[in-house]
Amino acid sequence: MDTARQEGSEVAVAAQGTGDAAASPPAGRRRPTFFPTHLTARFAILGVWAAMIAVYAGTEPDLFPHTGTFQTIFGSQYALVFMTMALMCTIVVGEFVDLSVPAVFGFGATILPVLVVNHGWNVWPAAILAVVACVLVGALNGFLVVKLHVNTIVVTLGMSTLLEGISLWMSDLNTISGLPSGFQRIALLDVGGLPISFYYGIILVLGFGYLLAFTPLGRHMRFVGASREVSRLSGVRVDRIRFGSFVFAGLLSGVGAVIAVAAIGGYNPTTSDSYLLPTFAAVFLGTAIFEPGRFNPLGTLVGIYFLETGILGLQLLGLEAWVSQVFYGGVLVIAVTISTLLHRRAT
Amino acid sequence: MSVSQAEAAGTGQQQHRLEVASVYKTFGSARVLRDIGLRIAPGELHGLVGQNGCGKSTLVKILTGIYTPDPGGAITVDGRALSLPVRPLEARAAGLSVVHQNLGLVDDRTVWENVRLGRFKAAGRFSRRIDGRAERAAVEAVFAKLGAQVDVNEKVGELSAEDRAAVAIARAMQDHEPGGGLIIFDESTRAMGKAARGRFFALVRSVIDGGASVLMISHQLEEVIGVTDRVTVMRDGQVVETGIPAKEIDEAGLTRLMLGRHLVTHSRIDSHAQPEVAAEVRDLVVRSVNGLDLDVQKGEIVGLTGLVGSGAVAVAEAIGGAREARAGILTVNGRNLTLKARRGSTEEFIRAGVAFVAERRLEQGLAADLSVTQNLTLPRVRSRGGRFRTGGGWQAEETAAMIRKLDIKPPDPHKAVGTLSGGNQQKVLLGKWLAGKPGLLVLHEPTQAVDVGARHDIIDAIREAAAGGCGVVISSVDAADLAVICDRVLVFRDGAVTAELSGDLTQDDIIHATFGLPGEKAGAQQTAQDSELDSKGVAR
Repeated sequence: MDTARQEGSEVAVAAQGTGDAAASPPAGRRRPTFFPTHLTARFAILGVWAAMIAVYAGTEPDLFPHTGTFQTIFGSQYALVFMTMALMCTIVVGEFVDLSVPAVFGFGATILPVLVVNHGWNVWPAAILAVVACVLVGALNGFLVVKLHVNTIVVTLGMSTLLEGISLWMSDLNTISGLPSGFQRIALLDVGGLPISFYYGIILVLGFGYLLAFTPLGRHMRFVGASREVSRLSGVRVDRIRFGSFVFAGLLSGVGAVIAVAAIGGYNPTTSDSYLLPTFAAVFLGTAIFEPGRFNPLGTLVGIYFLETGILGLQLLGLEAWVSQVFYGGVLVIAVTISTLLHRRAT
Repeated sequence: MSVSQAEAAGTGQQQHRLEVASVYKTFGSARVLRDIGLRIAPGELHGLVGQNGCGKSTLVKILTGIYTPDPGGAITVDGRALSLPVRPLEARAAGLSVVHQNLGLVDDRTVWENVRLGRFKAAGRFSRRIDGRAERAAVEAVFAKLGAQVDVNEKVGELSAEDRAAVAIARAMQDHEPGGGLIIFDESTRAMGKAARGRFFALVRSVIDGGASVLMISHQLEEVIGVTDRVTVMRDGQVVETGIPAKEIDEAGLTRLMLGRHLVTHSRIDSHAQPEVAAEVRDLVVRSVNGLDLDVQKGEIVGLTGLVGSGAVAVAEAIGGAREARAGILTVNGRNLTLKARRGSTEEFIRAGVAFVAERRLEQGLAADLSVTQNLTLPRVRSRGGRFRTGGGWQAEETAAMIRKLDIKPPDPHKAVGTLSGGNQQKVLLGKWLAGKPGLLVLHEPTQAVDVGARHDIIDAIREAAAGGCGVVISSVDAADLAVICDRVLVFRDGAVTAELSGDLTQDDIIHATFGLPGEKAGAQQTAQDSELDSKGVAR
């Protein structure tokens, strides 16, 4: 072989070229996509959800299958819906973990009652100020991460702790309550058996879903999340979109905070922490629903109610508060594992 | 295992240090390695060359156990078959080690720590501490064997380039049995200067003199020919030729093997160049290029080529908006674009009608997880879509047109791009830009690592764009491609245009001009032209 070179090689090369052409087409289709598998993957969690409801209904026929139970499940998660969508903003554009979402939410939710109750502000300007404060925090996060290239985890972890501290200071470690009762209506107005805040959540999720699926901005966001370099070279203003996502995350946290405060009638800043895991659990669980392996708002919404159903059922069974941690933690790990595997199989 | 060893000893008076036989590797539907066979003799310095994407790195990753080869192949060291996938500890026991591109050193640790990394022995029975003195002595012994003088207590980050290389070599050879072992250098000289290289090769020679073998993977053909004993050439996932004595081949010959004689799928056709200018580049300063002027006519296809670092690639990237230049202005469709401005995106370029088809398609060109339609229409979702709605109609239309024109397979607009074969991905990438009807199309290695059929379709599409009045700039090292498509080829060397070839182009002329060798036919005129062009590096 060593001896036949130079001239001989060209013939050999050309021959291999033909081989290439002949060999490559059949290699193209090895594993045909099997539609039913896809379908089951997409809707598996819905099935599990239905099964879970059936099991609870069977084991607790007196407690679980009541309108009240479902009113609780669907009527109590508005804060989480806003926080998950805030987290979604940054996660979609590839900023993997904005840990500050619950803290920004708590910050807004503390400012509002503190201004109204302790400082005698009118509730509306206080609400606006709370939202503006959250937007500014989002902008600061965005500035540090996008412009100064500081690590997202470090920035948001620090910001989260900082804001929680400030919130505790503002509130003097107390629950602040005593907002004017009329303010409640913006969150708890009864519409068809559910509080209006449930519908806010639905509108927000549908709007976000629409944005991602059908608008140029949403398409750009998806691409920035998939690859910054590809987006940049395709004329997408990558940094502007990343920065905007942080700002918008702040806005959603702020609006969510105002609605939550209206519903509760006040806020206890020590509770902000408890939202962190549920927020992440629902967003990641969402990647196993509807669009396997991809963060999507509708899947996240289902994830929220799925988690709440599981926990409520277990609590009705008589299990204590630790149940929620076990459930959130367990589901987070399992769901992300499953969605990762599904995604790997799909590509 | 002992049986096979006995067999090998019985049959072969000439035993191979490393023997790779019928190794295949498939990723999903793409076969990236096909029937790889390679033999390295004891005490041999063996070169391995091939274009980017030819499968060299995949082969190294198989040899180091990062990838699992398809079942059926065999890798033997000194007659002993390694289990597949290669287990790192077994490979180390067999004396097989790799020095990677960046040498794999930890800068803020000392030399001896770097050399012993992964091999520290716990000295105390209970304390499990590292016996620094013994470790240092062991490292000093390795350096003595290598004939290199390096202070083992120095931090690696403070060493010169050649001492860093010595550390990497010491780490690779420390487990070698006397008269045994194989070191694979994977582009290890890339970051070294000329002087450092000289010492590096002296060290490599001393390793060889100790009886070890070396497999050297390099893009520097000149170097490969200068230092190795024999050379193996890979192309498109196959070994084209193996064991060529380095003395019997020159750079041009190697290049020809690396690029191959493609099937003649295109005969040269008349130029579509029109007397009207499509794009003007003025005073471009980027990388080693200092003040380039370039005019591209409408319908003209201009090739930029040269060795690594010659500036051809940097010029193409700067014109395409992908790389920030130090100075320069590009005029397209009457719009002036400064090539220097720091910008977040290429939006301005796209609006002016510039399209840039990047080389690394999955890092710069396409998002693997997203669909063909989404990728293909991305540059235009804002301009063609409404503010609140991307609109499905034009997307479907554009995608269908490109699938038809470029024969993208499977013709499913909703398939994730990552599931397509390399050739079809490249077509989607090209379609993404052609669909925007650019005034200037800049391509970087448009046919790299694609099969013959895809290459044919891609070349056709580029020509069609030119026929439609688009100015085309192609940066490529593939002389065969350039010869077939280009109206004019600019050959770069050290930042300057050293030759401008036009008219009846041949692959050989381009290769000769690239390596600065006297050409057989065109050479004479070329050199004459060189000197005129040299001062300002221009064309037309």
